[in-house]
Amino acid sequence: MRSLVGFLGQRLLRAIVALWLVSTVVFVVMRLSGDPVPLLLPPDAPRSEYERVARDLGLDRPLPVQYTVFIGNILRGDFGRSIHFREPAWRVVMGYLPASVQLALTAFGLALLVAVPVGLLSAVKRNSPLDHVAMGAALIGQSAPVFFLGILFILLFSLKAGWFPTSGRGGWEHLVLPALTLGAFAMASIARLTRSAVLEVLRQDYVRTARAKGLAELAVVLKHTLKNAALPVVTITALQFGTLLGGSVVTETVFAWPGIGRLAIQSIYNRDYPIVQCTVFLSAVAFIVINFTVDLFYGLLDPRARPR
Amino acid sequence: MSQLTRRDLLKSAATLGAAAAVAPALGGPAQAQTTQKRELVIAQGGDIAFFDPHMSTSANEIRVSFNIFDNLISRHPDGKLHPGLATEWKLQGQTAWVFKLRSGVKFHNGDPLTSADVKYSLERSWDPALKTRVNTVFTTIDRVEAPDPMTVIFHTKKPDPLLPARLAFYGGQILPEKYAKAAGPEAFNQKPIGSGPLRFASWTKDDKAVLEANPDYWGGKLDVDRVIFRPIPETAPRIAAVLKGEVDMITALPPDHSERVSGNPTTRVVGALYAGLYVLAVNSKVKPLDNPLIKQALSLSIDRAAIVKELWRGRGIVPSGPIAKGDNHFDAGLPPLKYDPKEAREKLKQGGYKNEEIVIETTVGYTTNDKPMSEAIQGMWRDAGINAKVEVVEYSVRAQKNRDKSFKGLWWSDPTSTLSDPDGMMWRLLSPGGPQDYWRHPKFDELGEAARFSVDEKFRGQAYKEMTKIFLEHFPWLPIIQPYEDYGLQKYVEFTPNPNQQIELRRFNFKLRRA
Repeated sequence: MRSLVGFLGQRLLRAIVALWLVSTVVFVVMRLSGDPVPLLLPPDAPRSEYERVARDLGLDRPLPVQYTVFIGNILRGDFGRSIHFREPAWRVVMGYLPASVQLALTAFGLALLVAVPVGLLSAVKRNSPLDHVAMGAALIGQSAPVFFLGILFILLFSLKAGWFPTSGRGGWEHLVLPALTLGAFAMASIARLTRSAVLEVLRQDYVRTARAKGLAELAVVLKHTLKNAALPVVTITALQFGTLLGGSVVTETVFAWPGIGRLAIQSIYNRDYPIVQCTVFLSAVAFIVINFTVDLFYGLLDPRARPR
Repeated sequence: MSQLTRRDLLKSAATLGAAAAVAPALGGPAQAQTTQKRELVIAQGGDIAFFDPHMSTSANEIRVSFNIFDNLISRHPDGKLHPGLATEWKLQGQTAWVFKLRSGVKFHNGDPLTSADVKYSLERSWDPALKTRVNTVFTTIDRVEAPDPMTVIFHTKKPDPLLPARLAFYGGQILPEKYAKAAGPEAFNQKPIGSGPLRFASWTKDDKAVLEANPDYWGGKLDVDRVIFRPIPETAPRIAAVLKGEVDMITALPPDHSERVSGNPTTRVVGALYAGLYVLAVNSKVKPLDNPLIKQALSLSIDRAAIVKELWRGRGIVPSGPIAKGDNHFDAGLPPLKYDPKEAREKLKQGGYKNEEIVIETTVGYTTNDKPMSEAIQGMWRDAGINAKVEVVEYSVRAQKNRDKSFKGLWWSDPTSTLSDPDGMMWRLLSPGGPQDYWRHPKFDELGEAARFSVDEKFRGQAYKEMTKIFLEHFPWLPIIQPYEDYGLQKYVEFTPNPNQQIELRRFNFKLRRA
């Protein structure tokens, strides 16, 4: 029990340090990237107007002062007001989050549902036509640029076949193409990794033993192979989930999906510091939580990974 | 940089795929020339940020806000000023404009329109506490008077011949005083109330803005129940949406995609000659661009007709000077800007050009075709013996350079003629202290200032003629093209676009063809 408390304490400390580092880096990088004020004003605005806006946004203060205020506000859960929307940044980001989570979960579910069985079958039926087709498709999924896939899907499944809408958010039919596009890379990576992890395990002595004692092939694969091959698959799957959750700028742009990836990139163009800081902070939190969950999951899968 | 690559590749992917995939797919639906739809969906290239008309200045925003709100005066697609919330107006003396309001007009919440609302709206536009984005539009106004509920008098600091034109564009929308005051700016932006043909229903950022037809509109109810504005940022999906019939109208249709929309049996293209110009603005303070002969050579060595034909598929015209076609005092007798590489070489020689590097700082997609045009011009200049270089800058870097006036040579600008008059474009930008003040000429300045404050149109016409002459000697801008702004429409949509980019959905210029 004591070891678990120590483990949790250590992880919490690390998480706080990571969040502080991420926030500081975003703060510095955004300030280095340029001034938001000219983007807010018409080109013929006088100098006095420029100074007034800079003062209103607190951008006329020295950087260390701005930084202290920024960190103090974060500790209180206040990310400031969006420069572009003139609303609390948190509220703006929360407005975009549901669309991103919906897309990420669908893409992730689709990826898992397809990739794990395909990877497993490919490994078990190694060098069969099924393996070749599946791994060929995975290669395309991993290497085709997302925007290319997106446009291709729109042309084929939306314009030509007429099955799905071209873009926008609405019913389930709006989700299919963006989720397939966004999930393609994750699907391909998970399938390939599952295949190689399973192949690795299939060579182990205990699998030979299991077969030798006359177990059915299905039981060998599901009981003895899959669980042992799961560690690397769980890791890559979790990381892919984090990436999907962070929103995909390209998928969201191609499909006009109102998610935080698109919000973040627009906010970077607009130099909307508070929104960028808030989205990056949220992404960092998501990654930390996912990593932590994976660590706990390791313990479940492999007793050797449990804290002593 | 990643964005550039993506855009380029998107374009090629779309073109490649479209040729094979789209054409047969479109044979499907019958040639829909009429519709029973009660909803109009418009897809734009980007979302709005504000409904508050005093915060809305981008093209995407004004397309929405000019439908929720009315101005006293309306500039119709014919380019002329027509009565809006005001039925008549006249200049009294030199500095008092008297406006008579339309009677019986009601805001969406039922409040009647009175002169107090007009006075409040104008004063709100420059209220420093509200930090509006239109606070420089009415700097010529000294005070607003509301002597009776149906009369408004604007007193200007000096004679202002263009006040009616100013009132017809952004900043001039009229808000209900009582509601706007009670709600405060944030709540007003979330639930805007105007007197226009459409009233606000809901908005999901980056997804859709839903507006409902105002049944009591003074200009007559629109022939639809609902209008939805959707942002679809990428060109290829936006075009796919109109080809498939998911949306009824798209804005910002690039010239190289226009044939796909016009070639499709159910859609068509309409366009309006842009109220403005695409120019290469010149930093005339850096060498050798401080030399008028060099700038004349730069202009002479640009084959604008080829740019219009090849890069714009003919969707534009070659400008003749700094005044856009369609504006007051546009001189139809002036020939298009000349292309003569031989004369250009002579000018370079006379100007003592020593192969100094001349830099075009281009954005990618800030204006349509900005990068391809830069590359084409670079080639033309090289052929004429000019050491030209193209550098790519990001939008916000451009904004910063605009602010600091730190451009290395030339950059793209797409000045809009906000008042349909040279004062609202050439003089607004090139005047002393203006955003593109890189060059001064005493006579040019004197004429520009005099024309701004004169109510004598004959005098103004002469002044702009002389200013054009000076301009064509010194080229503070190199005007390149006056393009068409194209829209893709379903064939059942009858709509006339406005040269100033606003979409004004009113009965006089919009209806759906019914069976």
